[in-house]
Amino acid sequence: MTEPLISVKDLTLRFRTDEGLITAVEDVSFDIAPGEILGLVGESGSGKSVTAKSLMLLNPDNAVYDPKSSITLNIDDKAIDVFSMTNPKDRLAIRGGAISMIFQEPMASFAPAITVGSQMVEQLLIHSNMNSAKAKEISIEMLARVGIPDPAQRFGQYAFEFSGGMRQRAMVAMALSTKPKLLIADEPTTALDVTIQAQVIDLMKDLVSEFHMAILFITHDLGVIAQTADKVAVMYLGKLIETGTVREVLRNPRHPYTQGLMNALPKLDDLDTPLIAIEGDIPSPLDRPSGCVFNTRCPVSLGVECETRVPVYTAGEGEHQVACLLAEKEEKGAQA
Amino acid sequence: MSETLISTKDLSVHYPLRGTLFGPKPVVRAIEKVSVDIQKGSFFGLVGESGSGKTTFGRALLRAAPITNGTATYSDGEVIYDLPSLNGEDLKEYRKRAQLIFQDPYAALSPRMTVRDIIAEPLEVMGLTSSREETDERVRTIAAKCRINLEHLRRFPHAFSGGQRQRISIARALVSEPQFIVADECVAALDVSIQADVLNLLKSIQMDMGLTFLFISHDLSVVAHTCDHVAVMYLGRLVETAPTRELFASPRHPYTKALLSAIPSLDPDDHGNAQKLEGEIPSPTNPPPGCKFQTRCPHAIDICRKEEPKLDKLGLQHDVACHRWQELAV
Amino acid sequence: MTDTASIDINVDQKSKEAYFTASQGQLIWSRFKKQKAAMVGAAILVWLILSGIFAGFLTPYDPTIAGRDKTYQNGSPEIPRFWDENGFSARPFIYSYERERSMKTNFRWVTTVNKDARRYVVFFPKGDKYKLFGMSFDRHVFGVDEGKIHLFGTDATGKDIFSRTFHSINTSLAVGTIGVLIAFVLALIIGGVSGYYGGWIDSILQMVTDAVRTIPAIPLFMAIAAFIPDTVSSEGRFFIISIILGFIGWPTLARRVRTHLLTERNQEYVLAAQLCGAPARHIIGRHLLPSFTSYIIVDLIISFPYMVLSETALSFIGLGLKEPVNSLGVMLQNVTKADVLLNYQWNFIPVIFFITLVLAFVFVGDGLRDAADPYADTKK
Repeated sequence: MTEPLISVKDLTLRFRTDEGLITAVEDVSFDIAPGEILGLVGESGSGKSVTAKSLMLLNPDNAVYDPKSSITLNIDDKAIDVFSMTNPKDRLAIRGGAISMIFQEPMASFAPAITVGSQMVEQLLIHSNMNSAKAKEISIEMLARVGIPDPAQRFGQYAFEFSGGMRQRAMVAMALSTKPKLLIADEPTTALDVTIQAQVIDLMKDLVSEFHMAILFITHDLGVIAQTADKVAVMYLGKLIETGTVREVLRNPRHPYTQGLMNALPKLDDLDTPLIAIEGDIPSPLDRPSGCVFNTRCPVSLGVECETRVPVYTAGEGEHQVACLLAEKEEKGAQA
Repeated sequence: MSETLISTKDLSVHYPLRGTLFGPKPVVRAIEKVSVDIQKGSFFGLVGESGSGKTTFGRALLRAAPITNGTATYSDGEVIYDLPSLNGEDLKEYRKRAQLIFQDPYAALSPRMTVRDIIAEPLEVMGLTSSREETDERVRTIAAKCRINLEHLRRFPHAFSGGQRQRISIARALVSEPQFIVADECVAALDVSIQADVLNLLKSIQMDMGLTFLFISHDLSVVAHTCDHVAVMYLGRLVETAPTRELFASPRHPYTKALLSAIPSLDPDDHGNAQKLEGEIPSPTNPPPGCKFQTRCPHAIDICRKEEPKLDKLGLQHDVACHRWQELAV
Repeated sequence: MTDTASIDINVDQKSKEAYFTASQGQLIWSRFKKQKAAMVGAAILVWLILSGIFAGFLTPYDPTIAGRDKTYQNGSPEIPRFWDENGFSARPFIYSYERERSMKTNFRWVTTVNKDARRYVVFFPKGDKYKLFGMSFDRHVFGVDEGKIHLFGTDATGKDIFSRTFHSINTSLAVGTIGVLIAFVLALIIGGVSGYYGGWIDSILQMVTDAVRTIPAIPLFMAIAAFIPDTVSSEGRFFIISIILGFIGWPTLARRVRTHLLTERNQEYVLAAQLCGAPARHIIGRHLLPSFTSYIIVDLIISFPYMVLSETALSFIGLGLKEPVNSLGVMLQNVTKADVLLNYQWNFIPVIFFITLVLAFVFVGDGLRDAADPYADTKK
């Protein structure tokens, strides 16, 4: 068993707002090994982006981390406690250095008045001690690597001169040019058309095997996860409710929420089965249910028990873990 | 065969661009010669990527985008309207019969009005009710149909989540009891668990009220589950149209095939057949000559680069615009 | 990392429903209430405005030469007190004084306080006539039984500075209000037409706006001041100054109105209303105007202190209002003399009121802007 690249333990994060303290993430723990793609799935408001931003301490000032939360980075046989880094210089080594991030909307990630090339060079100069000629060479190389034709010419252009797919490729090139150990991809394909999405997914998979880096892939699309990730973590209202390898979770979902998501998803190979919606709406963060967070919408809720008791993780086959009282009961029944 | 509610023939929408001082003004051909028949009581799907002109087409049918050429007729058994020439009282009357559901449930609801006022606005503007009590009654009826909690009617939109807002948006579109609804990407902004709920709601309302939907979406799997008939658009042109099952079972146009194979499968071991498209959709200001898809088509030959293909009939309702569909089918 | 004290996040159902049914105005108010500086500013502002409006009632004397105290010129402030070495009095009192000017005093008036002769403060006495809401009154909040009381002292001609200050606030606010209203009406019409119609109308109106913005204010004021004949009454001068301020102030507001209209009319809910066949009247009245009233109010309040400042600046350099009109600018002009600076410092008291007024406006404006802008707290 190799040491995980990043290890998140009991991450709990609340936001101080006008309406009170809002829990965004609660007791989230996961590891990512080098070269591994972890898919973090969840709907809007599930806390998946907030979780990712915590890894780089990028959350806004009104975020309050619980003292028991810990994030450990293992780089070059050194364990770094992310929360203990108060020095902005140390943080810089993480932000854009060991960890890079790509976003849903690439247009918003490039400064409009600076060429794509000089932004890439600037980033390289900050994070390494190469000279600018070398940085330019590497940047052009990266642009070529992500499949941008005419990279030398594109280097001198502005983001608005790129098409949507090209921008996302350039974003990937920029994020990877510093050779990060971990890439956080926050909904990188959501704003793209399906045909372009397929291209970007292929590109990212190629790059992982080439650079041997880890990816935290955030998306709401289970199909994209199935095609990219090794492991999956399903999030609902700030909690990880099911984790495991892609095959374990998608072929044999055990949490009623994961099952509900699979049933609600329109599938092309089965047009006859009607879509089964998950009843009700996602509760507002102000209205966080007690007990199991999913109990307000759960079709197989046990009633009072689910409303009061927070389920613990029940291990299944392999790495499969699920936080559900039903699974707990089954497990006990099997043991008895 | 049921009757046709909306019928277009060679419908075109061109937008003039700010041109140079001399020479002809360049135009963007957002929609070029699109002919479709939408059957009454059907769920007609319109599929395409961004820039394909699907939104413009929907808006043109609602007279929210200017029709440059071609004909479009609305006929619901009571009235027949020639859409391009519609104005004055007839246009007002048509607005009662044709409504739009927006993609973004956050932008489409005025933040300064209560839910009741939002839903009631069409009734008040169109003068469909004579008293406040009557308006309230109709608002309550339609709200109940769209599963909006009646106690929530006095709330403001900021109190609601995306799914609830979309139901409000739907209630508003339906309150004037229209015949024809354009649903423009109306589930694209919603979460998966909510999306199924809104789709099922639309379906049940359609059955209930006998409505006709033009369902615009970029998501083929959603369209497959909702629509009876699908039209695929690329760069303002119709490339293929067929009943849903036929289209998904035997797509003929290379673009339709590519779209289908690009949808990521839920099975981690099924990577789809290697039909991945290269490149991106060209800009509508500068479309390629010949077949618009030739720049990305893996099967393009000389004729594709010179001549624009016409829609060929290959079945009763299955049309395809490709020079080589017969060869490729083999 | 900071504390994570388990603050109860389970908001009471009732207050939540109140939040859900809160209109935009209520939401802005609830956000505004949380800002201490703005709330303090608002309280001070309300107090200043009320005291400006009821200046005639709150102050004991007529602020013009008619109400001057011939026996107490350049007199120092008289503070009412309850006790001194001669014992306690339930009624506040001030001392009498004797004034002398002779060879001995270098021909200056010298005031000697007579601590043994008390003059008692009385409430609601009859005094100088003043007008309030068009009606004539002669009751004042306070006065003294004998002679006159001057809380802030008197100026060179013996006018009561306390009375003058409150009347000045009134005048300055009135000039500001008229100026802002003129600017606002112009801005609404020009910005509204520009934003709603767009196209070449917009281009031409924007050129006009830019042209007006480039006119330098001070030379223009000087030219107009030279143009106003001396025969114009002080009221006439007052209106001319207000109108000039309005005509100078509109372009910034007009630009804001136009920008709001341009962004707002492309909102989807506006299209939704259009698709119902709503006429332009309905769209402007029901959607466009309400969408930016909150911003316009903020703009008005923020531009108000600039109006007051401009009036003050004009009067200060002698181009605006002149004696005997009382405005903050006129009061400020009084304190430029070295004599005042050295010997009669109480003339500076109106300056404190002036600074407070402008700061209160700025704080309230800032607070309102933050409250009306939901994105303000994300970028800090």
